[in-house]
Amino acid sequence: MREIINEEVSVVMVYSAKKRLALPHIIGWHNKEYKVGEIGYHHIVKDGDVRHHIFELVDTKDTLWFRLNLDTSNLHWKLEAIHDGLAT
Amino acid sequence: MDLQLNYNDPLIMHIDLNSCFAIIEQQANPLIRHKPVAIAAYDTPRGAVIASSYEAKAKGIKLGVNVREARLLDRNVIVMMPDVDKYFDAHNRFNKVLLNYTNEVVSRSVDEFVVDFAGSPAVREGQSLVDVGMNIKKDVKAALGEYVTVNVGIGTNRFLAKLAAGLHKPDGLDVINADNLREVYSKLELVDLPGINRGYQARLNMAGIYTPLQFLDAPMLLLKKQVFKSICGYYWYLRLRGHEIDNVDYGRKSFGQQYALGDKTTDRNQISRLLMKLCEKAGRRMRKGGYTGHGVHLWLNFENRMYWAKGRKTKSGIYATQDIYLNAQKLLNEVSIPGRVSNIGVTVFNLEPVNPIQLGLFDDSRLDATSLAKAADIINDKYGEFTLVPAIMVNMQDIILKRVAFGSVQDI
Repeated sequence: MREIINEEVSVVMVYSAKKRLALPHIIGWHNKEYKVGEIGYHHIVKDGDVRHHIFELVDTKDTLWFRLNLDTSNLHWKLEAIHDGLAT
Repeated sequence: MDLQLNYNDPLIMHIDLNSCFAIIEQQANPLIRHKPVAIAAYDTPRGAVIASSYEAKAKGIKLGVNVREARLLDRNVIVMMPDVDKYFDAHNRFNKVLLNYTNEVVSRSVDEFVVDFAGSPAVREGQSLVDVGMNIKKDVKAALGEYVTVNVGIGTNRFLAKLAAGLHKPDGLDVINADNLREVYSKLELVDLPGINRGYQARLNMAGIYTPLQFLDAPMLLLKKQVFKSICGYYWYLRLRGHEIDNVDYGRKSFGQQYALGDKTTDRNQISRLLMKLCEKAGRRMRKGGYTGHGVHLWLNFENRMYWAKGRKTKSGIYATQDIYLNAQKLLNEVSIPGRVSNIGVTVFNLEPVNPIQLGLFDDSRLDATSLAKAADIINDKYGEFTLVPAIMVNMQDIILKRVAFGSVQDI
């Protein structure tokens, strides 16, 4: 079931100069760390002049899907929603 | 003399994303792949399903059923609301992939493109369009994700290309040319042809045409005079033979915005507030497109299935949201509301490019309103949509969400 969270979270991000890619690596939420597995989709939305990077990804154990929002105006991360892959 | 089939090389390609919104959600969330997913306008029981995954379609969850019905058809269906920005992003990536092959790319909707390969580098190099189609499939996966698949259809005109794209869903690639056209038609029903709905099927049946092959063999005059009773009969005669008739760009005729009310109401104040927001959204799009309008059309649907609509042309140009709203509100004042309003829509029509501005001799306030609208647009562009709004729209941020239009996507 999809659940709206909208909470700021801790994120470790990795930048690879070789791949020229910056991606979230570890998410810290509710005293638990989730290692990032597959990133399903990454896109950018604009709110006025501010760009937000939206990462939709699952943890390496495929237990939870996360929708993360990186606000480029202050580099804060917000966990917008989670999903366990079930209907209810 | 009868017109022959088009024996030219098929160079038109139709490409569409399979179950577009649902497959993009499944790409974004690996945990819902290979599961029934329904994208609904609202996730409340009466919200209408606007797209579903192949797994959901197999359970009968198709366009138009509501969320309650979808859950009755399959209790495990995952219902989601649309993420419009993500679909627009996917559309733009899809477009970018195709532009690597040729500039002759036309977007038919958020998930459909038509590409004309005549004179393209691939054709000049002697590459087969089937190979190009396979490469496009790979490139779309690279751009959008491994789970995303597309149907590719190749034909001598847009009609046959679209028909070919629908032959083997999902992930198909088919070619229809003069050599296999009769064979393809022989396996289809009339309503399988793009553009033939139940109404047209009934008309064709009345003229003794029951199959696509009979449709193909029907004389032009029969189609023109008896079946379609218009030039459309001649167009179908050409279309079915693979001659191009649909490569027409109709251009922008109007800017419209509509809203299905979650909480149906007879309250005129509430309707006016919604109307203002619709006017603001339509106005923003019109101004971004560089147009000014000369008419406003308003329509209302009521819970008791009654319908009311009225439009009025204006002498002076309509540019600012306030101008649209003023005209729409005047129309709204003319309706007697017979029941709770379920849908409302406003359209600005008779468009003209905004430059040069035609000033009215007795219309002192025009420039002020135009400047104000431009200033408000600049603020909203900088600080986000609906940062600066008319007072009537205060606290309406979450009402009237961003939606994807069916068909044309000229604003993306």
